[in-house]
Formats: sequence, C-alpha cells, structure tokens
Amino acid sequence: MAVPAQSPDTFTLLPLQMDSATKAVSATGTTNKALDAELQALNTLHRAILSADVPAGTPPPPIPVNPKRGAQITKLREAANTDFRKGNHTQAVRLYSLAIDMALGRPFWEPAGLVREEVSVLLAARAQAHMGMQEWAEAAVDAEASVEMRKVGNPKAWWRRGKCLVEMQRLEEAEAWVEHALEFEGTEADLLKLKAEIEGLKASKK
Amino acid sequence: MWPFDLVNWVGLTVPLAYLFILVSSLAAFSSFYRKRQAAKATSLQPWFPPNLQRDIYLSLLHMENPKVPDGVLKAALMRRATEDLNRMMQVQQAKQPLQGLLQRNSVGNDLFQRLQHAEHETQTDIRDVMQEANAFTPGWGNFIFQSANEMAHNKQTREKLAEFNNTRASEKEWWDQRKATIQSDFMKELDDEKSEAASAPAAKPAAKIGSDDDAVIVESGGPAEKAGKSKKKKGKN
Repeated sequence: MAVPAQSPDTFTLLPLQMDSATKAVSATGTTNKALDAELQALNTLHRAILSADVPAGTPPPPIPVNPKRGAQITKLREAANTDFRKGNHTQAVRLYSLAIDMALGRPFWEPAGLVREEVSVLLAARAQAHMGMQEWAEAAVDAEASVEMRKVGNPKAWWRRGKCLVEMQRLEEAEAWVEHALEFEGTEADLLKLKAEIEGLKASKK
Repeated sequence: MWPFDLVNWVGLTVPLAYLFILVSSLAAFSSFYRKRQAAKATSLQPWFPPNLQRDIYLSLLHMENPKVPDGVLKAALMRRATEDLNRMMQVQQAKQPLQGLLQRNSVGNDLFQRLQHAEHETQTDIRDVMQEANAFTPGWGNFIFQSANEMAHNKQTREKLAEFNNTRASEKEWWDQRKATIQSDFMKELDDEKSEAASAPAAKPAAKIGSDDDAVIVESGGPAEKAGKSKKKKGKN
C-alpha cells in the first residue's frame, strides 16, 4: 500500500547509460518524463561546468566571481551607450540584447544577485533605446522586466514604463503603475511629474 | 566449600526462576515493541517522493561499464545538493505551521512524524553530499551548498525573464493593432473634415459629433480591456 520510506543505506538503481563520446547520460528502457527531464538538466549542467573551464572541473564557490565576463558585459554596454547617444537606436538595442544574453549566460553557480543587477541595468537601457524609436510596447515590457529584477534603486525603469503606458494611452494602468512606483521611489521628482501629467491627461479626457 | 554448602539450592530455584521469567518477558516485550514501532515508522507515507537526484547520483556511481567520469558525477552531485536544499527549505517552511496545528489537535501525530522523518532523512543526505564532495575535491563540501543555493536562485531569475519574453510578442501585437486603429481613425477624421468642408454647411454639426463619439469609444475600449489583462498577469506573479 504505502511506499516505504527511503532508508539512508539503500537507493533505487536506475536504468542509466552513458554515451562514451559525448558523456551524455540517458535512461534505458521505459520512458519516464521526470527522469528524462532531470537527466537533461544534469547534462546541461555538466556541459556548463566543462565550458566554464574551472580548475579540476569542480564548480568554484560563488564568490569571488571570474571578472572576465563582467568586463565583456561592461564593454558591450559602453559601446551600446555610445550608439544610443549618437542616435543609432537599432544598433544600441542589438548591443544591449547581446549584453543581456551574455549576463544570462553566466554559469549557474555564480551569484544570482549579480545577474539580476546587471540585467536590470541593461534592460532599463534597452527600454530607453526602444523609447528612442517610439517602440512603446517593447520598451514597456523591458522596463517592467528591469523593475522585476530590481525594485529598489531603479527609478528610471519605473518612470520609463509609466511613460510608455502614457504614450500608449493606457492611462488607468499608467496611474496604477506610478502609484506603485512611488511606494518604492517616493522622492523621485520625475515620477511625481509623470503622476501630475497623467492626472492632467485624465482630467482633460473627461 | 564453605559458602556453597550453606545454600539451599532447591529452595533457591523458585526465586531464580521468577527472576528469569521476569527479565526474559521484559526483554521479549521490548524487542517486540521496538520492531512494531520501526515497522510503523517505515509504513508511514513518506513526505517527499523518492529522491530522483540521489538515485541518479548513486546509480551513476555504481555504473561499471563504462565507468562514469568524475565530471558527470560532480554535476550529478550538484543536482543532488540543489534538491536537498529545496527539500530542507520545504521542511522548514512546513514545520512551524504544522507544530501549531498539532498543538491545537487539528492534525494527527502521524503527519508530524512524517515531517520529522523527512527532515532527518534530508539532514542525513546533506551530510552525505558534503562527504562525497570533499572526497572529490578537498574543501568542496564547505561551499557546495552555497553554489547549489545560487543555482536555485539563478533558475528562478531566468524563468521570470522568460515569462517577460513571452509577453513581449503579445504586447507588441496589441500595440501594432492599436496604432493602426488610431491611424485609421485619424485618417477618417481628416477625410470627414475634408468632405464636410466640401458639402453644405448645414449638415456639418451632426456628422462631426458622430465621428467624434466613435473615436472616443474606440479609445476607451482598448485600455480598459488591456488593464484587465495586465491585472491577471500581476496576479500570476
């Protein structure tokens, strides 16, 4: 009836096999969805460890972080910033996207807080570049994602989504969003200004 | 010999037999009781499903032909550490409320025993993982769970971002449609104004009001529907 509890001295021998060339582990015999998914995750992790090129193939502790990737991301971001200032928004968006992919490509054992930090800055910047091209929908999503990654100390992203919603004439949503933003960034002058703007627009609509 | 001569052996058999029966019956009861307790504990439904990561790691460890390289084993051990951490978190989250329920007699003792059993099992497995890690690389046991923790957080972060990537397409589509409506409305208004200017001035006021109303209805329709949709999105997060 009941499955007996697992004893620390025993385990269930699973029907596994390994490809001797690729070192990929797979299940033999009957297919089992959970097992297959788990093995896939295992193979992904194994490849990540191999490609990370760490000493002895042991993932290092989360801190200190290998500075190489961070430097590359910074370089990409600066190039994108330059493009943005020149008004070359398409190129800036492309470079920001590359930098975001690079930040998300960090090995899984590196600090997640660092990834969130980097990605939030990059997403906010990409939102700005989208706004430069008047692509309000993309900008709004990017800014929202940026806020999701970092809520406090990210007033620009809060403001950008609010602005995009106003531009798309979604005033109700924009108002709610700015209210929410002011809970985190109550003293931000831009947000207060945006709030006044939304109220003005709503009043003129009526 | 002096002391034994004085002993009345026949008279002593009765108390000796009494003692023997007493001790052996106690021993029998104790062993019987313990066996039953152990059987009851193992027959309790386990709190967690079988630990797949642990089974995979140990299965790989015992694979002989061909022998699994250390790299794969290390990856499997990290997966196992992540799962242990996950279980430990679940146990700790459940423990406090369950204790409260137990004190108020809202749940049976069985449930709490199952949780304690799961906690114990997970703790044992965590120690096991640390030992295994230290066997691969000295000192790895000290930080394998830090790495596992970051792995869990990183997974969450990426899942969340993937969600935003999914909304991007639908948002863009909505805005493109919306933009097209605004533009066509605008063009229609321009056309209306042109035709109005050409036609007799008497027909002007009625037509003007009609087109204005249309524009307002379309405008207020979009955002309201959108607001409902985004609320749903927030609720999910």
